[in-house]
Amino acid sequence: MRIGWVFLRLTGIMTLAFALAVPAFAQEADFDDVPFADGQWNIGRRLDESQLRYCIDKRDPDWEVAGAIADAIAATLLLEPQRYVVEREIAIEDITRVYSIMVEHCDVHMGFKLIPEGYANWIALTRAYYDTQYVFVASNPELHALADLPPGHPIGATVGTTAHLRLVSYLSALPTDKRWPAYPMGTNEQALESLLSGSVDIALVWAPSLWGKQRSDPAYAELHIVAPDPLPPTTLGVGAVVLSDQKFLRNAIDEAIAALAADGTLAGILESFDFPATVAAP
Amino acid sequence: MKSSPKLTALVAVAVSLMAVHAAIAQDAPIDSITPVTDEMLLNPPDADWLMWRRTFNGWGYSPLEQINKENVGKLQLAWSWGMSPGRATQETPLVHDGVMFLQNSDHRIQALNAATGELIWEYQYELPDGVTPGGERSKAIYGNNLIVATRDAHIIALDIKTGDLVWDQQVANYKSGFGYSSGPLVANGVVIQGMTNCSNAQPGGCFFTGHDAETGEEIWRVNTIARGDTPEGNSWNGIPLESRHGASAWITGSYDPEQNLIFAGVGQPYPWNVEIAGLTPKSSDPNVTNEALYTNSTLAIDATSGDLKWYHQYLPTDSLDLDYVYERLIIDDMVVTTGKLGIMEAIDRNTGEWLWAKETVPQNVVLSIDPETGAKEINPEVIPVIGETTFNCPADPGSKAWQATSYSPKTGAIYLPTVEFCSNTTVNPLDPGQIYTGGGLQTYSRVARPDGDGNIGQVRAFKVDDQSEMWQYRQYAPVTSSTLPTAGGVVFVGTLDRKLIAFDDETGDVLWTSPTLSNSLESFPISYEADGKQYIAIVAAFGNGLGRLQSLTPDVKLPPNNPVALYVFALPDAE
Repeated sequence: MRIGWVFLRLTGIMTLAFALAVPAFAQEADFDDVPFADGQWNIGRRLDESQLRYCIDKRDPDWEVAGAIADAIAATLLLEPQRYVVEREIAIEDITRVYSIMVEHCDVHMGFKLIPEGYANWIALTRAYYDTQYVFVASNPELHALADLPPGHPIGATVGTTAHLRLVSYLSALPTDKRWPAYPMGTNEQALESLLSGSVDIALVWAPSLWGKQRSDPAYAELHIVAPDPLPPTTLGVGAVVLSDQKFLRNAIDEAIAALAADGTLAGILESFDFPATVAAP
Repeated sequence: MKSSPKLTALVAVAVSLMAVHAAIAQDAPIDSITPVTDEMLLNPPDADWLMWRRTFNGWGYSPLEQINKENVGKLQLAWSWGMSPGRATQETPLVHDGVMFLQNSDHRIQALNAATGELIWEYQYELPDGVTPGGERSKAIYGNNLIVATRDAHIIALDIKTGDLVWDQQVANYKSGFGYSSGPLVANGVVIQGMTNCSNAQPGGCFFTGHDAETGEEIWRVNTIARGDTPEGNSWNGIPLESRHGASAWITGSYDPEQNLIFAGVGQPYPWNVEIAGLTPKSSDPNVTNEALYTNSTLAIDATSGDLKWYHQYLPTDSLDLDYVYERLIIDDMVVTTGKLGIMEAIDRNTGEWLWAKETVPQNVVLSIDPETGAKEINPEVIPVIGETTFNCPADPGSKAWQATSYSPKTGAIYLPTVEFCSNTTVNPLDPGQIYTGGGLQTYSRVARPDGDGNIGQVRAFKVDDQSEMWQYRQYAPVTSSTLPTAGGVVFVGTLDRKLIAFDDETGDVLWTSPTLSNSLESFPISYEADGKQYIAIVAAFGNGLGRLQSLTPDVKLPPNNPVALYVFALPDAE
């Protein structure tokens, strides 16, 4: 039976539809896209304006680095740093959780990638304090570049990242017999574990995640980064978020980051942690 | 012995007061509440609403007829009850022997006198830190227990008389993201529950479990993502189990007692985009397909053993978040369901063989349906592609979502709550923060249907025997609750603009509209009888389902902080 009768009429006026389209939230969670914090109507304005209350999340591999950067930002702004460490154990959360964390605990939450159109209206990004990459990682010492991997050998990619999308687009353009299977992995950890277990030959992960794993687990020590060729590197800036009505605070933090980049403080912090990132370009 | 007149009077008063107290105690429904038996579940008393859709066949139909076409216009508020505010909830109250059971979004579970709204008991289930509270669409009563699922992947049983905890069974680890958003069904003495929240943190997908009703102990488990070297297990384009995500079982199923089979739905694969999910480009391996079983399917599961008897998949290789997970209506020898596409489909309840389909809402995703097999030809232009924006109708919340359809044996019709809208869809990376990476990786910019009449909400009535449309009601604001048909010839439905509406079940004429209530009506209305009186109950809450279409109707304002309240309507006493 032929259905979808409306399609022909719809295609005829698609131009109009696009003209009317007003994007809602850039990203919407499945069920909980309206931020809410328990007792949010009981949480008053804080009285102590001499503090920079910031959050870092222990699930982020860079949480110690981010804490050091936040302390430096506070010092630049002549504020007393007030650190709140998020210590949840849930593997993946909806970003609306950030709202309740921030309403309750902090004005600035460190550790968010600068993705155009990647955030809802209630959140605002600062400028980046460092740039880092998604990296291809191998355990086979004979692999030096992605191009060295024979077709048909699988890549385990952390799902949905900017680098994953770039890889998938590239693969789609290749002839079938030239492709590598790209297995989506739910987390960076799962992608690296699949590499260790041998179920994939290369993992595509966030560089700080590899750094964190290699710091904490000797089993990952022998893994090495391979060149992304024939793909270009995927680099993203990382900054902090504030609630979107905190425009003055965001401007102040932006200025502080710029000052810390200019005077070499940020570079010193990254170097002290041997962290795989560079100070973000202005 | 001579007694004092004063003492005699005092004793008389005391005895009289005791008698009154006794009478009150005797009349309190909680004191006379009876255990719910298998027989009751098979043939529920007309006055009761014992499970999610009231009966095993999933009809959502009330046989009560005190409220009817002639008098429904006199409905008035009988009582109301404020519930925990702020969080999304899509509540279905249950009623047994004049006692109503409610689950608040913060997992405060309450028993109320269903005639008066007085609180009888309450139990607070404590969620671990970090678990986002939220309502559960349904719950179950069996024996002396109220059985409830939780957001941290537990199933608990409470004593229906006292609210005391009887057992608590952890089914999965919430730290991996597992959790429940709907409750169980008790079939043939087995508590059957579907697991949800299976996005990117749970490789291998979700599952159904069967539990001992006395202890909660798990008896069996059926995975919703096929595995192994079978045609079904090889339907994931060659990607390993650790890369297969999705297939949440987030809606309660139905039960066929003749076959001892549960019919339950499974949701879509994750992430939504098939390129990112690894389902395309299609593998050249001749032994591999990419339907991603058992996503968007009905599973027929033996209630006692957990054996998967058969399955039917409605939408293979879904790339648009178009679940077919919703209610299953058992009508004659058919299992009827309607997915987000708004296409109503029937399969044979004995074999799973596809029977017929009826497109109820304009859409541009499916171009044709094979009249023999039900196989769908998908419009290639709507499949999202990295780097492009595509246009699809409906958008991700669906023409028809978790708001259940219902069936009236009186009219032989299915009543569908539907909406019409479209989406400009773009594939986006979703990696903002290290652990904030869940979701589907597509942006749906929702827009009104370009050739529509501006009416986003509808109620549609279709005859089951020939799938002809009986009537259609259209309005500007989205229709946001399930439908509730009754033997009184009335169909109730709730809307985003805070109204409960009663229709003539044969003509669609509006017979009554409630006063404007406190919030959007995104829940499951029920009808019950207490103390000889029929009631209509519905929870007002922004449940964040079709309410997301609020962006299309910005002039429909809702209150801040999402207040939640139960409203119970009845005829005046004189009626």
